Amino acid sequence: MDLAPVLDGFGVVLQPTNLLYCLIGVVVGMLVGVLPGLGPAATIAILLPITIGIEPVTAVIMLAGIFYGAQYGGTITSVLLRLPGEASSVVTVFDGFALARQGRAGTALGIAAVGSFLGGTVSIVALSFVAPLVAGFALDFGPPEYTALALLGILLVATVSSGDRLKAVIAACLGLLLATVGRDGFTGAERFTFDNLSLADGLDFVPIAMGLFGLGEILYNLEERHRAVHAPATVANVWPSRKDLRQSSGAIGRGSVLGFFLGILPGGGATLASLAAYAMEKRRSKTPERFGRGAVEGVAAPESANNAAATSSFIPLLTLGIPANATMAVIYGALLIQGVSPGPQLVDQEPELFWGVVNSMYIGNILLLIMSIPLVGLFVKILRVRATILAPITVLITLIGVYTVNYDVFDIGLVVAFGALGYLMKKLGFDPGPLVLAFVLGSLLEDSLRRSLLLFDGDPTGFLTRPISGTLLVLFLVVVLLPLIRAALPRRRADARRDTKELV
Amino acid sequence: MTTNNRARRWATASTGFALALSLAACGGNVGGGGSAEGEEFPGGDPITVLVGQDPGGSTDLIARALADEVSDDLGVPVTVENRPGANGALAAQELAGAEPDGHTLMVYNGSLAYITPLAVAEGEAPDIADYEIVTGLSQDDYVLVTAPSSGFRTVEDLANAGRPITFGTTGVGTGSQLSQELLFNQAGIEATAVPFDGGSPTLTAVLGGQVDVGSIQLGEAIEQIEAGELTPIVTFAEERVSYLPDTPTAVEAGYDAPVQQSRAVFAPKGTPEDVLETLQASFQTAFGSEAYQQFNEDNQLTPNEVDGEEVRETWTSNLERYRGVVEQYSIDLGGDS
Repeated sequence: MDLAPVLDGFGVVLQPTNLLYCLIGVVVGMLVGVLPGLGPAATIAILLPITIGIEPVTAVIMLAGIFYGAQYGGTITSVLLRLPGEASSVVTVFDGFALARQGRAGTALGIAAVGSFLGGTVSIVALSFVAPLVAGFALDFGPPEYTALALLGILLVATVSSGDRLKAVIAACLGLLLATVGRDGFTGAERFTFDNLSLADGLDFVPIAMGLFGLGEILYNLEERHRAVHAPATVANVWPSRKDLRQSSGAIGRGSVLGFFLGILPGGGATLASLAAYAMEKRRSKTPERFGRGAVEGVAAPESANNAAATSSFIPLLTLGIPANATMAVIYGALLIQGVSPGPQLVDQEPELFWGVVNSMYIGNILLLIMSIPLVGLFVKILRVRATILAPITVLITLIGVYTVNYDVFDIGLVVAFGALGYLMKKLGFDPGPLVLAFVLGSLLEDSLRRSLLLFDGDPTGFLTRPISGTLLVLFLVVVLLPLIRAALPRRRADARRDTKELV
Repeated sequence: MTTNNRARRWATASTGFALALSLAACGGNVGGGGSAEGEEFPGGDPITVLVGQDPGGSTDLIARALADEVSDDLGVPVTVENRPGANGALAAQELAGAEPDGHTLMVYNGSLAYITPLAVAEGEAPDIADYEIVTGLSQDDYVLVTAPSSGFRTVEDLANAGRPITFGTTGVGTGSQLSQELLFNQAGIEATAVPFDGGSPTLTAVLGGQVDVGSIQLGEAIEQIEAGELTPIVTFAEERVSYLPDTPTAVEAGYDAPVQQSRAVFAPKGTPEDVLETLQASFQTAFGSEAYQQFNEDNQLTPNEVDGEEVRETWTSNLERYRGVVEQYSIDLGGDS
């Protein structure tokens, strides 16, 4: 492995501007991690217009910081207030808050910070090795390979994601349908454009993401009555004792590895990883009854896992150009706005961007580790800002922001429309994530499929004779057939599975 | 403590609103301040240059390189605004609706004038007769490239491949598509077009051997050509391109297939003559600057700084000429043209 670009990447991160944006990113990330409701996907979507004026590498460093920073922030409120700021910190509540009630809030936060740091680091190191490996195949990725990848990505998103599977499939189909709007890139025919030039190039990703994630979330949160915030537990002595560290070292290690793999999986990501890691620790433990009553492992495992997953979900995006979850889809959009198309050639064509972003995660994680403890008090105060003030400001920023992307009033209309859609979807139990992902992958799927068929002269067996696309399609079949086969077999593992279900 | 907190909260909130209001106010000003009758152009008002392509593309870079120079010369801010969409038709539509006072201009792509109309349904592409043309800018050449491993070096090699070939284009209704369709039809080569989404994906597909050949703008392929990763077969220029002296043109190889991307500065119809003259003089000054000349060289652009009428004539005759050959060889650029 050639180390020069890796080191150059550090040079990029250490430029004062990039360091500053990294800091801004992780602080904003922690902030939204603390605030329940507003997640990293929404925040990144709302901040997309800001990134246009800055360098691509700087922009992505900041956006990535928001993403993994949110995983840290979510922990704080879970432990101190029993109020998970992020979906990925829900399981941390069980043992984290129990520890806090025993007066060991500091221990819980300390373990979570150490676990998060180690989990993140394990993933960054793995990312540094895996990405160039995939990039070695970059030029072998032609239209057939992208067809198979997009197909696999959409399937996994619709089936693996948490929540109702049927609803996820419906949302994904809607996303695919929306992706067909615009002038057909192969024949020039107009599709669903209603003679409107603003629709000629299809629906723009930014207003859709900002509407569904940003406006939709804000509207939905307005319905929720905000609970009175209890006085937070006092935090003393955040450095975990040697005994705690020894007790949780296994959990951190297993959580990191599990999180890394679940993060790579499309549709996986931080939430799934934290749930799975908690369930695994509980099952492995000789004393499972301690879980939920203040087990240090119960904090260490999910916190290591969600950070590892947050980092590793960059792998499919930066190496294949396939976003693994909703937040990655938004970052994908950010890259496209910057004129960078993520894909296997990214490592070679834009080494500064790739290694700059990857290496910024080391710095970001260190910043978070240093900051997470002293800033606890401040973040708890932020929770007291009422939604009646926060919501209108966020809406205003969203609407102004989307206008500044193209200076097109049409986009404001789109944000409002998709905001309403996002609100309705959440209310009816639909996750907007699969919709956005399918929308992003939809054009890739259609274009690649049609390109492939042109290349194969209309013969679909061509997909199977190429090694990479063939392998991916076999994988696709396995994912489709596995649940059917499982259903047919006697349910031996039903007990074990119920255990995980309870947590979801 | 509580009161204090509340005060701080309101302070934060009002800062937010103030910021938002001032932003909104700024938005209202841009392009809105038409100078009064008889006043000297440009007065104190800024000039907006519309670009119908994404930031970072060649058209955008050209607009920005010129904006700096023109701004220095006229002493007013010149801002570039991107309105990507429909090959630039969206920006052209906005330009047509703008006040004809010289404060809204556009860097207009030749392909929109003489190739897009052949690919889309009637009335969907703007007509250059509806605009004033301030000045021509520069030309960008297309080059037919292949991966060295394909073994192709000349058009004859392609004709003798003994199988239908595939060619990548940068999209429907682009010079990349037209140039190759013209060449392969005239050479009697059986070939299938595979449209990609812009220059960079097309380049990657040619490099990886996904398609046999592709026609790409010179500036986007020059690095790979110089590194030996791509073999240039022909260029689609009228005369040998100074940046690729050893590569023959398609015309030299015996085919009537000159296709270039050309760019010019457009203004809304009805812009007063004296305003146009002031702008022309200012662009001439910009063309003369060392920084701009260096910019052209760095981006493999051939200056074509002719006056507006010449641009109009060339582009109109290009459209007629291409329409003729496209009909002659029954080339189908789009679905329903």
